Amino acid sequence: MSPQILSLQRASLRYGDILGLSPTTFELPEGGGITGLLGPNGAGKSSLIQLLSGLLPPSGGELRVFGENPFRNPAVQRRLGLVPEGDRFPAGFRGDRWLRMMGELSGLSGAALSQALERCLRLTGMEVHGRKRFDAMSKGMRQRIRLAQALLHEPELLILDEPFNGLDPEARLQLMALLHQLAAGGTRVLVSSHILSEVAQLTDRILLLFRGRLLAEGSVPEIRELLDRHPVELRISAESGLAVARWAVEQEELVALRMEEDGAVVSVRNPKRFLPRLQEAVLSGQLQLRSLEPLDLDLDSVFQYLTKDNA
Amino acid sequence: MPIYAPTLPPRPALDQGQPPALVMLRFDLRRVLRLKLGRFFGFAFILILLIQCVWLYAQYLMGSNSAFATLKPLAEQFLPQGAAFQAKLLHPAMLSLLWLQVALVGGGLVARDTLYRIRPLLYAHPVSRWDYLTGKTLFAAGLPLAIQLPYILLPWLLSLALAGPRGPVWLSAPLHLVPAALIIACLMGAVTLGASSMASSPKAGFGWALGVLIGSSALGQVLATALGDTRWMALNLGTLTDAWPQLLCGAPGRYGLGWGPVIAGTAAHLGFWTWIAIRRTRPSEATQ
Repeated sequence: MSPQILSLQRASLRYGDILGLSPTTFELPEGGGITGLLGPNGAGKSSLIQLLSGLLPPSGGELRVFGENPFRNPAVQRRLGLVPEGDRFPAGFRGDRWLRMMGELSGLSGAALSQALERCLRLTGMEVHGRKRFDAMSKGMRQRIRLAQALLHEPELLILDEPFNGLDPEARLQLMALLHQLAAGGTRVLVSSHILSEVAQLTDRILLLFRGRLLAEGSVPEIRELLDRHPVELRISAESGLAVARWAVEQEELVALRMEEDGAVVSVRNPKRFLPRLQEAVLSGQLQLRSLEPLDLDLDSVFQYLTKDNA
Repeated sequence: MPIYAPTLPPRPALDQGQPPALVMLRFDLRRVLRLKLGRFFGFAFILILLIQCVWLYAQYLMGSNSAFATLKPLAEQFLPQGAAFQAKLLHPAMLSLLWLQVALVGGGLVARDTLYRIRPLLYAHPVSRWDYLTGKTLFAAGLPLAIQLPYILLPWLLSLALAGPRGPVWLSAPLHLVPAALIIACLMGAVTLGASSMASSPKAGFGWALGVLIGSSALGQVLATALGDTRWMALNLGTLTDAWPQLLCGAPGRYGLGWGPVIAGTAAHLGFWTWIAIRRTRPSEATQ
């Protein structure tokens, strides 16, 4: 069995009467790589991150990071970098001065601190803009500064809470490239997000959280397979709604059908098999399709489906 | 075990820098020095100090120069010599201005970190909440102490330079007034830190600090009037800060408060506001 960088054994978190995280069990192996923490808002991602970064103790179960209890444990915190959610900075401050303070709080000083500062600004592409004040920086720049502060002490485990929120596509791609680079260099990266496609671009290993519990764990194809069992609602607009209905009832994936003025809303299992058949029907002239619109492929409905499935 | 390539540079040596409390103190100090408000208060405090020094010199001249001797009785009507004169080196007007300044600066100390969600980030570093509180307390109490010290030491040095040990300021004045300044600084620090930890923005922190100051005054006044006992005025923060220099110099206080009520009032405020600050800066509070 390979050594674990972190392991949870039925670890849970309560905020008074509110359950932030149900008893959860999973492990992450040592060494570089990216793991996605996926879930809608309120799923418990931030609670899990607070547990892992030692901000809060687990209410139950056992939690080990680098083999130790992380709660207010400096030995763990020295090996861990946290990029918290949000975009709030002390407005009048210069990025590099703020980074210097964070570096000093991590225990760096003198030449080591200057070198670390230079390295992280270069790594995040902020050599020039890092000396700007926070209020003069773009959101993407501030996100990079936030990442730079987490990298100053060269952590072995880097935790990012919703790092892509509010970033433009270019900044998003740059950040993804940087995270890949860090993972290739031996850093274990844990990224939380509520957007499946975002996490899928970044990693092959996903932890799926919903309403405070770990719903699924696995690779992106495994999660996709789970989603394929989910009856997906599709609005099919065509020249003749009746023709759509006639064709749809013959398909074994059909679960439900609702007629509309210029088409039909079909609920189908295994869209992977259904959609190529629909394509064939259109190509053969059997159906005169105007548009095809998925109605419930958002993450929330997927999670709801998975919850029902696991109930 | 992870296998590291031999070409990788070694991890940086940690545990090298200053204690976290000092790092945070330096950061807050740098922030305040950049404030325009700091310049305004700097000007106001220097002006008061200059007036005190000029007045002290005038006192010396009236005692030593026959040309000014006729003015001496008139001056003594305004500024009687003795213990009261020593106590007023920490003048109530200066202390009121100081309260306003620490409310403005100290009110934002913790509240700013709440607004920008800096505490969760700090606590994810090897920084304990005691490090955090120590850094903030050092700043919140250190600032009023640093401002008060020149009001004690400059007139004392000036008096020594002009007239030697028989000058208008007692030779032992710092021994009386520095402890008073220290207690006042701790009181101001605890109150502003507690008030700031209740607020979610620096402006609200200032409001809380000012509200506590005015509220304590009103409470003291109401209880003293209702119960017919002026000792309740020891709940008033303004009265407490005025009382300490008077008590330590042996001068009569405004409400005739003795050691007992002043010590009890100071201890109550110190204890209560420190408790609030400790509770409100816990890591569990920071994550909400």
